This record gives sequence, structure tokens and C-alpha cells, in this order.
Amino acid sequence: MKRKIAYQAGRSFLHRYHPLVKFAWLVALTVLVFLFQDPFLNASFTVLLLAVFPSAGLKFRELRGVKVLGISALMIALLQVLFVDSGPVMGQLGPVAVTQDGLERGLYLASRFLTVIFLSYLFVLTTSPNELAYALMRAGLPYRFGFTLVTALRLIPLFEQEALTVYRAQLVRGSSYERKNLRHLLRYLRTLLLPMLVSAMSKVDALSVSMEGRCFGRYPTRTYYQKREMTRRDWVAAGGLILVLISAVMVTFWEG
Amino acid sequence: MIRLKDFSYRYRGREDFALQSINLEIASGEFTLLTGPSGCGKSTLALAVAGVLFSQFDGEVEGTVAVAGMDVQEKSIYQIADVVGLVQQNPESQFCTLRVEDEIVFGLENRKYTREKIDSLLTWSLEMTGIEHLRGRDLGTLSGGEKQKVALASILASQPEVILFDEPTSNLDPPSTEEIFDVILNLQRETGLTVLVIEHKLDFLSRVKPRIVEMGMGCILEPDRKSYPAPEIKVKNPAFNGSAEHPLLEVERLRVGYQRQSVLKEISFRLERGEWVSLMGDNGSGKSTLLLSLLGLVEKSAGDVWVLGENVDQVPSSTLGKNVGLVFQNPDHQLFASTVWDEAVFGARNFKLEESEFTGFTRSLLERAGLGDRVKEHPYRLSYGEKRRLNLISVLSYKPDVLLLDEIFIGQDRENAEFLLTLLSEFVENGGSVIMVNHNPAYYPEVVSRIFFLAGGKLVVDAPLREAMQDLARIGMDAYLPGGGW
Repeated sequence: MKRKIAYQAGRSFLHRYHPLVKFAWLVALTVLVFLFQDPFLNASFTVLLLAVFPSAGLKFRELRGVKVLGISALMIALLQVLFVDSGPVMGQLGPVAVTQDGLERGLYLASRFLTVIFLSYLFVLTTSPNELAYALMRAGLPYRFGFTLVTALRLIPLFEQEALTVYRAQLVRGSSYERKNLRHLLRYLRTLLLPMLVSAMSKVDALSVSMEGRCFGRYPTRTYYQKREMTRRDWVAAGGLILVLISAVMVTFWEG
Repeated sequence: MIRLKDFSYRYRGREDFALQSINLEIASGEFTLLTGPSGCGKSTLALAVAGVLFSQFDGEVEGTVAVAGMDVQEKSIYQIADVVGLVQQNPESQFCTLRVEDEIVFGLENRKYTREKIDSLLTWSLEMTGIEHLRGRDLGTLSGGEKQKVALASILASQPEVILFDEPTSNLDPPSTEEIFDVILNLQRETGLTVLVIEHKLDFLSRVKPRIVEMGMGCILEPDRKSYPAPEIKVKNPAFNGSAEHPLLEVERLRVGYQRQSVLKEISFRLERGEWVSLMGDNGSGKSTLLLSLLGLVEKSAGDVWVLGENVDQVPSSTLGKNVGLVFQNPDHQLFASTVWDEAVFGARNFKLEESEFTGFTRSLLERAGLGDRVKEHPYRLSYGEKRRLNLISVLSYKPDVLLLDEIFIGQDRENAEFLLTLLSEFVENGGSVIMVNHNPAYYPEVVSRIFFLAGGKLVVDAPLREAMQDLARIGMDAYLPGGGW
């Protein structure tokens, strides 16, 4: 059974960083990958990231969609190899001349693609979205936005479960969706969505009664009971990030 | 504490008033039980007292509602919320967060209380509801009963003077129901709260001698009843006098799930024509999974299931459905057509029955259900009880051999339950067989012939009614027996 790309509880070194520190690293590294277009630097970084997975207690192979990811990266690289014709010719692939520029461009784009995906995977898999939402709200995100996220997190699994129930209920009353013409597909969608919609509406009613009944929206701000203080290692990580950014700026400046 | 004076309410877009000229007074510290048929306006009354009826819905109002001297319509919902708390039916749908602590402090954070104040209120409400041990947990990992206690604690934390409960136990198994009621009673005794409980399950609460307010459709029939006769079901155990060569269902060493996440363990039984089984067990004991696996809707890890001699692995669920009808818990999940009539014959048409085979029969069932002149309406316009009748009819219409019913009596008043039971009784008399999951001991002893009791995925009791009831008493499951605390 493949695992979904969703938060997986754990106590690894990545899990224990403050969500906002991790978020800052994610954003900064993603920007850097786009700034520094060195194929070998990027490729080694991608491999390095791959090595982070096991140390964060994650089994890369068990994740859903890994194959698609690999194939996509190959396709991206292949396109460059096939269509870039500048630079010295390195070899011949059928009628197509493979150039050094093509290879380097392919390596860079494929590794950039994988790096961005791996970074997001590591972030998503080790950060409780709930904690992230609370951390963002404490950092100043208006709480209505924060709770929109929390509510979505809460309702998604419920809706998944309900969709399955509706599907089963249709199945046992003889609906068969093997005939795949458009009319049947549309009818199928309608019969699936209507019950979902009705049940979603009643959920929204109950939830808004519950939220208002507990004074949600009474004041423009609210207090937070849970504290997630920055620990020493969080500060170190944040400092590390600042160093990385400063050196990146210096390198860029130096190289012109 | 609570005073409704000539209060009437009509939802927008509705012809009838949901409540009409209600006069009701509830004193401070009083324990009141509000009962009445489904759709009579009990929940609307609770919403009115909690103030949300005026802040969330925009309908036509007459008369006044006052709580603790405040005119509910005049004050803001937040001012009312400081005095009145409402615990809704389904704990799942009233949670605003993902963790027990976050949930309980939610209302306190919204009131901008300091950390110290929140801390002491959190500890206090956890103690009062007896769930200190759940403090660090995720809500998703809790049982139904635990969830409802957290919902109660989250209301209690803001120290309201009145707490309203809208059918707080309807999704809970009997042991959890007892626990919730114990918590409520204890709370009321210790804090002198004013408590109003909307509930169909009256027997259990009768031991505290609450004041009982009985409602009819949109009105109060009796504002001050002292006792309430136990509901008597007139349907009697049906007898099938035929015989059959094959059992309808055969289950052999069925397992679902693996090792530690095992849901069903080594389940074996045979079901003959004319049998009516009550399938019982705590929330999470595997009842729904068992029903689903009989139709091949969940993957089994071992064992075999035969329906009329055919192995379910060989037949798609959409074909098995013809012989084995399944009705799910929530009516809204199983209404697909755009008219009541199309809904009723949805399955019959899918299974390619001849029109003559089902039209007359289905029409007569709809007539008896009081839906005869509403066949052209949209199913979602029906009331909860009517939807439930339609659910059952839409399965009966194609005349399956076995009916599997998952908690179809939840939230049904006595009259509706009796109608459903009558249809089922006829079904059994004609050689059909029923397995119904039900929590309400008030219904089963009069009708069923056999009991299955699941505990931890094992079939720990499988016996004829009387024998099974003795078995249940022996293994300490008195809560499942009629009068066992109810």
C-alpha cells in the first residue's frame, strides 16, 4: 500500500523544527534553485535531498506517485537533449545530435524539477498542517484565514469517507459505471455530487452553529493557548538560513 | 432561566411554522427533558434558546425568547453564548479543530482569555467530564463516546449557566450512552446548571425524574410530565413457514484487515430464510464492516462469503445488490434520483426488472408510507423520517432476499420506527431475511429471532433471542438489554 503525500507523524529531526522555520527554508531553497542554474550543483543537491528522506524516517519508495515523478523528470531531460542543438556535439542518438548544452540543460531542468518536488515532499510529510496553521496565526495571519485551513483539514477526510459511502450505496442498488460514454459519466457525477453537496451543506450548518456558539469572530483578534516557542535548534536553523542567503547574495554579486 | 412567550418561528421558504405559539418556562437549575416525534421542532427550539436561530437563519419570528433575563433576539449571539451552550447531535460535525486541547480552549481563545485563565478552565472542564486522560490526543483517534465528551467539555469550559443537548447520544452505543448521561447528571448535580436535553431514549434518564416536556408538531402537548410510559412496539415476531434448500448467506472464517489492524476475526455463520438478526456491539466493533464485506464492498484478508450459493468473490457488488439489499445509516447518502418515484424504483430499473414486477408493489408501499401523493417531489424535500421510509422502500421494491440495515432507526420516533418494522416484518414473513445493526434495545426483543454480538471483531454471541439475552447478561453487556439502564 502506497502512502499518501500527507503529514506523517514522527519525531525525526525534521519533524521537530518549528513549522515556520521549515517553511522559510522551503521558500528560500526553492528560490535559490531557480537563481543558481548550475546543473552539477543542482543535481548534487537533488541527490543530497534524497538522502534526507530516510533520516527523517520516511521511506521514499513507499510514497505514492514516485514512478510518475521519475518518468516526468526523464521526459524533461530528454526533451532538452533532443531539442537543444547548441554547443559541442557529444554523440549521436539516431538522427539527433546530442550536444553538451542539451545534456547540461536537461540535467539542470530535471534536477530543478525534482528538487522543488522533494523539498515540498519533505516539508509536507514532516509538518503537521494544523501546527503550521496555528503557527501562521500566531505569527500574524488573520485567524479567519487560519481556521479556513484548519476546517478544510478537518473536513477533507470526512468527505472522502462520505464519497466512498455514496459510491457503495449506488453500487449495491445496481449502478454500474463500466459503460464509459459521456452521458453515463455525467449522470454518474450528478448522482455522486448531489448527495455530497447536501451532506456538506448540513455539515456547514452544524459547524457554523458550533463556531458562533463559541464566540468565533467576537473580536478582530484572539489569544492562543498552545505555545510553540522557538527552541535553540530552531534559532540555529534560522541563523543557518540567513547565512545561506547572505552567501548566496555575495556569490551573485561577486559573479556579477 | 429560560422563558418562551407566544413564540412562533417559520423558516424562510417554508409554508408551515416550525414552532407555533410556544409558551415555556424553565427555572434555574432545572433538569428538563424535551421529547416528541421527529420533525416536531425540538431542534428549532434549542436553536432559538441558543440564539443561533436568529443569527444564522433568517425566518419569520413572533413572540419572545428570554434567557437569564436577556431578550435573545436583542442581544448579540456572543452575549448569548456566554450564558447558553449547545451540544449538537453529531460530535464530528461540531468540532472546529483537530486536537482535544485545541477544541476545548477554542471558545476561550475566541473570548481573548489569558493563558492562565484558559489553563485553569481547561483543567476544570476536563475533570468535570472525566477525560483528563484524553488531553494530548488527536480528535480523529477518539471513539464516538469520547468525542461527545470532548464536545461537552468544550462547551462547559466557558462556564455557561445553561447547557442544551440536542440528541447527544443518538450516534452512540448503549455503554457510551450511559456514560454520557452519567456525566451530564453528575455535572448538573455538582454545578447546579440548567440542563435541557432533547432525547428519544427516555428510559435511562427517567431514573433522575426529570421534568418532561412533550412536544407535538410545532407545539407543546404537555409542559410538565412526570413520567413517560415505555414505548410499546406493536409489531410482533414474524414467522416464515416455508423451507429452502440453500441458506441465503454463508460466511466461513471471514477475516478483514491484517494483524494489529484486524477488523473482523474468524467470523462464521449461516443465515436461513425467515431469520431476523439484530447485529449489536460497541462503536468500532466491526458491525458496518461485516455488512459491507457480505457484499464484497471491503477487501477481506481470508475466508469466504456465499450469497445463495455463489461466492461473492466471483460476482460484482452491483450484481449481488439484487439479492442482498443494503441500507446505510445516513439517508442523504443514498438518495440519487430527482423524484421520489424515480428514487423508489432506481434499483429495480438498474437490475432490469420488468415494469409490471415492481410498479404496483412499489406504489402500494409508497401509499402506505404516506408518500403516495408526493411521488413527483424531489427526495431532498422530504423530512428525515420520510427519507428513511423512502430508503427502505427503494430497496424493497426490487425484492431482494436479504436486507442488511445499518442503524436505520437512529433519530426515528416511535411511529416511524414502527412503520419500518412493519415493512420488515412482512418481508421476513415472505421468506426474506434481515440483519440489522441497531443500538436501541427497545425495538429488537419484539421482532428479532437471533442476535449477533460483535466485540473486538469477534462474533462473541450468536444465538436465538432468549438464549442470546442471557449470554449478554453473562458477559456484562446489560446495557444492550431492554431496561438495562435504559
